[in-house]
Amino acid sequence: MIPLRLRGRAEATAPYVVRLSTARDVAPGPGAARLVTEDDEGVAFSSANGLLAIDGVCAAMLDGDVVLVDPQRQWVERLLRAGSQHNTLVVTERCDQLCVMCSQPPKKTHVDRFALLEEACLLAAPDLLIGISGGEPTLFKEELLAMVERVLGVRPDLSFHILSNAQHFTEQDIPRLAAPAFRRVSWGIPIYAATAGLHDAIVVKDGAFTALQKGLAALLVAGARVELRTVVVKDNLAALPELARFVAVRLQFVEAWSLMQLEHVGFAKGRWDNLFADHRAAFAPLAEAIDYAILHGVRAQLFNFPRCTVPAAYRSLARASISDWKRKFPNRCAPCREQAQCGGFFAWHPDDQASQMVQPL
Amino acid sequence: MKRRRFLIPSLLAAGLGAHDPARAADKEAGLAPPPADPDAGSLARLYSQDHLFTLASHRSHSSHSSHSSGSGGGGHYSHTSHRSSTGGYDGGSYSYDPPVIPRLPRTPPSPLPSQTAPQPLFTPFERASPPAGDGLAPLSGRTRRFAAIVRRVELALLAQDFYKGPIDGVVTPELRAALRAFQGKRGLEVTGTITPATLDALMVSSQ
Repeated sequence: MIPLRLRGRAEATAPYVVRLSTARDVAPGPGAARLVTEDDEGVAFSSANGLLAIDGVCAAMLDGDVVLVDPQRQWVERLLRAGSQHNTLVVTERCDQLCVMCSQPPKKTHVDRFALLEEACLLAAPDLLIGISGGEPTLFKEELLAMVERVLGVRPDLSFHILSNAQHFTEQDIPRLAAPAFRRVSWGIPIYAATAGLHDAIVVKDGAFTALQKGLAALLVAGARVELRTVVVKDNLAALPELARFVAVRLQFVEAWSLMQLEHVGFAKGRWDNLFADHRAAFAPLAEAIDYAILHGVRAQLFNFPRCTVPAAYRSLARASISDWKRKFPNRCAPCREQAQCGGFFAWHPDDQASQMVQPL
Repeated sequence: MKRRRFLIPSLLAAGLGAHDPARAADKEAGLAPPPADPDAGSLARLYSQDHLFTLASHRSHSSHSSHSSGSGGGGHYSHTSHRSSTGGYDGGSYSYDPPVIPRLPRTPPSPLPSQTAPQPLFTPFERASPPAGDGLAPLSGRTRRFAAIVRRVELALLAQDFYKGPIDGVVTPELRAALRAFQGKRGLEVTGTITPATLDALMVSSQ
């Protein structure tokens, strides 16, 4: 587990964003901090915002990281880690759904950090892919789109992947989303079933399915890049082939369709036995859905499926989807030859369960 | 220039600055004025003129007030159990919380027999545990590291007559004013903060 939040002591009193650099001799540019000292327990940096002492890391680990410093709470949050393709900015924790398996249950309060996050994006390492997540980011659609537009206006080398339920896009957004800047933006959009009843039950929101179709239509017309995401749970496992037909017929414009195994955190943790569909015992519906999608030109892929738990014929679709900082492998995986291509398990997955599931390849 | 460079070590040699462990021990033990001092330090205060000074192990109380100001330096003496950097993680008070981020496994090495098995990947990113305690390290690493640099800045500004306050490692309005004055005089960007350019100009080099 790579720590994303560190304890830090800052000279400043208000939160700020800064890029850390370990090059001692060079005068750091605007928004950059230079390493001052390093000892066994941590490091200290200096920037225009003054001193910043961080615990529990060595300097080399932080080089190039863009961090958000919260002096009052003595937190240093590593927003954009240099060299990682798994950076996610949480723009809000508010959400308008309450999905049964939510891995990050929403909060009522919204802390507006758009200005700080925008600064962070502008300081990002070249060509970085920046994930944006929530909550539901488009609850603050104007702030979100404006931030993306401004950042890409200055930094056309960056790209964004934004997780959204797509229910807040309207016809009025189409010209905006069709602008050239949005070629560098892809949208990860959840769809759990081909019918309103089941989809709405899983996201615990009446009318969600209908609103989603309208949003997807707007994205389609705008030529947006869309990745559909379907978390597999007991309730929708048998309905996956039907969803595959729906996607292939109605939503063929999508770039990819990701079928995702459950994450053992948030709501899913307490409801694991009611939600977890063991694909090792029942891969047939998944196989049928994948076959149908691929035959119809929809690129289906498997997220959070350890490779050894997937039948050999479908193994190549199982991506190393779990972010580097929260990925782990049980000890039994040590001899496996496919570990490098495998997503492994979420760091919070119970070890005994993980251990039982795997069979080194 | 040369003279200034030598002045700092001389001040250090004279006992100014660098008394963390003793001070920390005071704080930790919640020591009232030592019983050996019948007038409770009032005589010392009279002569200290609000400056920090050190006499044997008795520190002037006139400088205590500065600890409660600045950027909250005074309130963060952590307990011994907090010596691992993440000991204070509570996760609750911050209204923005990224996904569950478990505390770092930075516990002191425990001689568990199960530890002989190969560890999962992606764990060896943390620092080794801090060295075994000598009983004098109640300050968190960041607070000590932070204060050590601030003290060096205070000394350097004192040596150049920009600062007259205590060498206590606390960023006070007085220190900020001194930084601004120094930065203005040297043609640096005036921020009132300890910037890389200021550290260079004060010749407070990296350790």
